[in-house]
Amino acid sequence: MESTDRIQAACNFILQSPPGEINDVLNDVRNIISDDELLHEGVLPALREYNIAQFMTVDVPGTEHQSIVSEASRLPAAEDQEEERFLDPRSKKSFKFDHLTLEASDLQDFEPEAQTEEFRAALETAAVAYLKSHYHDGVASAFSSSRSTSRFVLQVVANKYNPSNFWSGRWRSEYVVDFEEKTIVGKMLVHVHYYEQGNVQLSTTHDVSVALPPAITPSQTSAAKLLALIGEEESKYQNSLNDSYHEMREKTFKGLRRALPMTRSKVDWEKVTAYQIGAELAASKGGFGGSS
Amino acid sequence: MSDLVDSMLDLMRRLPPPRTEENVAALVNICPDYADDLLGSVDQPLMVKTDRTTGREYLACDYNRDGESYRHVNIVSVSPWSNEYDPPLDDGTLPTPKLRKLETAANEAFDTYREQYYEGGTSSVYLWDLEDGGFAGVVLLKKTLTGSLPSEPTGSWDSIHVFETTERGRQAHYKLTSTVMLQLTTRSGGSDAVNSEKEADWKREGEVTLSGSLTRQEEFDKKLEDPNAHIINVGHMVEDTELKLRTQLQEVYFGKTRDIVYDLRSVQDLEGARRQRELQKELVGFMGKR
Repeated sequence: MESTDRIQAACNFILQSPPGEINDVLNDVRNIISDDELLHEGVLPALREYNIAQFMTVDVPGTEHQSIVSEASRLPAAEDQEEERFLDPRSKKSFKFDHLTLEASDLQDFEPEAQTEEFRAALETAAVAYLKSHYHDGVASAFSSSRSTSRFVLQVVANKYNPSNFWSGRWRSEYVVDFEEKTIVGKMLVHVHYYEQGNVQLSTTHDVSVALPPAITPSQTSAAKLLALIGEEESKYQNSLNDSYHEMREKTFKGLRRALPMTRSKVDWEKVTAYQIGAELAASKGGFGGSS
Repeated sequence: MSDLVDSMLDLMRRLPPPRTEENVAALVNICPDYADDLLGSVDQPLMVKTDRTTGREYLACDYNRDGESYRHVNIVSVSPWSNEYDPPLDDGTLPTPKLRKLETAANEAFDTYREQYYEGGTSSVYLWDLEDGGFAGVVLLKKTLTGSLPSEPTGSWDSIHVFETTERGRQAHYKLTSTVMLQLTTRSGGSDAVNSEKEADWKREGEVTLSGSLTRQEEFDKKLEDPNAHIINVGHMVEDTELKLRTQLQEVYFGKTRDIVYDLRSVQDLEGARRQRELQKELVGFMGKR
């Protein structure tokens, strides 16, 4: 197999990593490819893609909070810079991110757009309060858009890794609030891995959108209201997951295999085999045992 | 080098179950020398194939594969027993006549079992001789549910029970490894049914997939009065193990994974609950002082 194909396969595995297991997957891939030099250079783009897509959380040095590495927080490399940086809008710092060690470094001050910062900060405050109310261990970031002053992005991520009990889970949500279009367009993604005596995964996607009242404008009050609206919808989704569970259990699971036969008693194997021997005897006219 | 196989198996234990076939194929391409180790250790969804002569469905997997061909057992005409390879294979491995007879009877017995528990689906049993005198076999069961509407949930169940047996006088010792692969998918969509003035009218579209497999390994000692008792013994073992696995699948799929979602996010207001607890503590302290 060509080395480019091997790297392509390795990248493909990395992008499928369950929550919190990227190092385990990387370690397996390393043994399988057994060419560290080839691997080191080759998989960095996949690690970057994975971290950005999965809303990887990062400790921001000098602060008490974590920030999200994502497309919304990415600052494309300027012409005089060689590397892209990521933004922590809360501390107004940008940083370099190591996609392998997941560490932030080389912090620099970031000057936000004066026009949008007030509402962005209000959205952040409301999001942090919402996070405390509904997430056990979550991180939220609010971003203003470099493309439009009426567009804001809110991201939430919550992770629980419990390798000693063989499970992990991740909840991601993202909402694009657009005051020009007067809409919220969002998505929620849940990924759970349970791997004691097997490999069981829950994977959900859920796209949502809603029209906002025509009179709405960016303000402290509207930020709180938007979060209330989002929070209500997230809870509604979580409740609807229960309905999905119920339906899959009652309709699909039971329809695939019964717990007991219709007769409510187990199979009578003695009878089943005795009947067959009888049928066989009848069919072959006493031929049973002849050939053995 | 067994390290390499261990790494491949560990990787397969982590990657998403719906992509098992694609990922196994990629691993085989990277390490072709270990293809047999991998294909023999990683369970993949069973293939449903049709016997060209009888039109009956049979199940295909690594255990009834010889090269590119799959063996199937014809149980429609009881005698002579025919087991053939598809595509045809002149020198394909076949069990001894004695074992072929037991195999046919086992296929019939598990066909009854399948009908009673699955009310549909497909089953196949394959046996093969072992070099040390015993024999081994695999009991396969598969059922797929496709909703008649796109909004209806779909699912599939694949059971793979591999066993090895050695006879000691009137006793038989069995080693059984059972895996059930289960996939469930449900789609949801639409907006709030009632377009009330007060509530925002959200549009929603989503999909929920629960997929994966659980494995159990057990050993049994059973009485062996005559060769047909093997079918009775394996029947009881498979039936009991499948019930245990079904219960375990139910707990993990509908219990554990749901609990983990609730460990991430809470529908209840956690801040409110925290305040309640603090208030309670304060009151206890206040009452205690009196």
